[in-house]
Amino acid sequence: MIKKLHKLFSSVKLAIFLFLFLAATSILGTIIQQGLSMERYKALYSPGVFSVLKLFNIFNMYHSWWFTTLLILLSINIIVCTFKQVPRIIRLISPEKKEVDDSIFKSSQIRKTFQSQKRLSDIERQAEIIIKSLVGTPVKMVRDDAIYFQAEKGKYSRLGMIFVHISILLILAGGLTGTILGFNGQMNIVEGEKSDTVTLFGGEGTKKLDFDVRCDDFTVEFYETGMPKEYKTDLTIMNDGKKVVSGTIRVNHPFIYQGLKFCQATYGIAGVSDFKVVTKNNGTGDETVLKLNMMKKVSLPGSNASFAIARFVTDHGGMGPAVLGVLLEPGKAHDIFWIFQNGRNLNQQQKGYFAFTLQDFSRLYYTGIQVSKDPGVPLVWIGFCLIMMGFILSLFFTHKRIWLRISGSQDKYEISIAASVSKNRKSFEEQLAGLTREAAVEQTK
Amino acid sequence: MNDTFLISIVTFIYFSAAFVFLISIVFNKKSVDKWALIITVAGLILQTSAIIIRWIHSYQLGIGHAPLSNFYESLVFFSWSIIFVYLIMRKRYQNNLFGLLSAFFAFLILAYPSLSGKVNCAIQPLIPALQSNWLISHVISSFLAYACFAIAFGTSVLYLLKIKMKPSMLPDAPFLDEVTYKMISIGFVLLTLGIITGAAWADRAWGRYWGWDPKETWSLITWLIYGAFLHARLARGWRGVKMSLVSIIGFIAVIFTYLGVNYVLSGLHSYL
Repeated sequence: MIKKLHKLFSSVKLAIFLFLFLAATSILGTIIQQGLSMERYKALYSPGVFSVLKLFNIFNMYHSWWFTTLLILLSINIIVCTFKQVPRIIRLISPEKKEVDDSIFKSSQIRKTFQSQKRLSDIERQAEIIIKSLVGTPVKMVRDDAIYFQAEKGKYSRLGMIFVHISILLILAGGLTGTILGFNGQMNIVEGEKSDTVTLFGGEGTKKLDFDVRCDDFTVEFYETGMPKEYKTDLTIMNDGKKVVSGTIRVNHPFIYQGLKFCQATYGIAGVSDFKVVTKNNGTGDETVLKLNMMKKVSLPGSNASFAIARFVTDHGGMGPAVLGVLLEPGKAHDIFWIFQNGRNLNQQQKGYFAFTLQDFSRLYYTGIQVSKDPGVPLVWIGFCLIMMGFILSLFFTHKRIWLRISGSQDKYEISIAASVSKNRKSFEEQLAGLTREAAVEQTK
Repeated sequence: MNDTFLISIVTFIYFSAAFVFLISIVFNKKSVDKWALIITVAGLILQTSAIIIRWIHSYQLGIGHAPLSNFYESLVFFSWSIIFVYLIMRKRYQNNLFGLLSAFFAFLILAYPSLSGKVNCAIQPLIPALQSNWLISHVISSFLAYACFAIAFGTSVLYLLKIKMKPSMLPDAPFLDEVTYKMISIGFVLLTLGIITGAAWADRAWGRYWGWDPKETWSLITWLIYGAFLHARLARGWRGVKMSLVSIIGFIAVIFTYLGVNYVLSGLHSYL
């Protein structure tokens, strides 16, 4: 049983299957929107489809039991396969034996043998040139019956594949750490107010922070085209009502406090206040600016009438922001009418002696801050660095080894070459053939 | 000089280059080769200038940013990447078919905005999410990866043609197989880098390096398919038709990662 399992997990076939299976199933989660409320899904799908999707946790599939199982299987697969390779790689990168085994010249993947009638010193010089241009500076060894040259380069490129596989494990471990120990959610805070409650994503309830976050100010800037240019929140961390630290967050510029990351996510208008309404006395021509808040009565100067605003809309009938004004005069029924902002048609509402214009009001924003904590991030970053190192090692470096033997005696030396390369074997062989041909040509000269 | 006008000239140049490559293949004339190469290089130089001019122009408009921020700019950079990858790999794979493929793909991609008429080629200001130092490295590595995969897709299709119909014009099947493999292995590393830079960016912008957003998920799907390709070839010794099919499926995933997510699915990555 264990043997069977070991065989299964040490097979690359399983890896290929898992890769393709993960790829195929991942598509589902991009078609079916993730993390909506169950009510939304019930409205979207028929009861039969809904129950099947729910059974396989498709609504949060990347964290479902079966997807996690696939990732665990992949991890085991990587661990077993990588460990299987370790002894071979250690053998490949451990220092060469001093003694050259002559069987290499018969068994190596790249072999070549030719004869030469030149002087030994010339042959040696040529051998060094060949090895130097193919691999690197050779080491010479003399035995009673033959002379050996040997060179090796780029053996650490063999580690590339190990690095890549370990890094995938680190990234998966980092992801797991984040899922277990981290959280991710959002808090909406109205300007001037504070909160310590984060609403977690995926309907996982709320989380209380050890401190309060106060939104001091929120601003939004636009380009001339109307596209947003910048969202900015000034916030203060408070502890027991005391200021701890202040910071500013913009999109792409998070604020980090106690390992928590605060990112600018969204915003909205929480309310409006401090309305300024201009009244013009049609009799005298005097203009007065009334400072008003919702449902707060003020008296109109130079008369016994009073005025209040009862409602605000951001856009009334396509004519922009408007307030609903209430004019109260003694002995008359109260008068209700819409007041629009400057520069709009109909903006001057004539009511008896008075004309009204909405001059200004202040918007009260709320800022949407994404709060996240992920202790797995360092593992993931290490994984990212290691995977690129691994790729660079295995892509840009080649492990090359070459052995050359000069045997025989005067007038007829035999030169045998054996070599092995970790990749690009064809171009290496062509290069070797070219160099030995040159040597042969020189010989006939 | 208007950069979009220069790009329309470049479109024509790449078409001519593809045509001259075709002539050199059909008539097997070595003398024509040189011309095809010269035209291609001229196209790349002009295209590079157009990109730089657009970059400078955006600063003159007061909204300066690298021209890698909307669909039109991504198409221009995609075609640039294909020609760039071709010219780098050319020394190794001296085959005009490789040139024909690259010039033709580059032409098609550049022709798309003028044919569809729906692509906005105006320089637009950067929305807050795109104002990041990660933009350039993320876009460059991703599109160089796409370019490698596009070439691999071309050689895979030609491989299948060669196997099924055996036209003498096409290079040997093992050569096509080799180019497919090489382009995919380089593309895979670049895609990994693209995903890493994207993750680093997402961590700054959204507070998480990975959120299973459709664009992120599709980039992973693409990565998994090509990962399977490399394992099948390197560890299992697969060659030929099977590998070509995986490469073609991989490229479909690339196209979906690039376009499908924006046009079919919804997500955070609604800009390209």
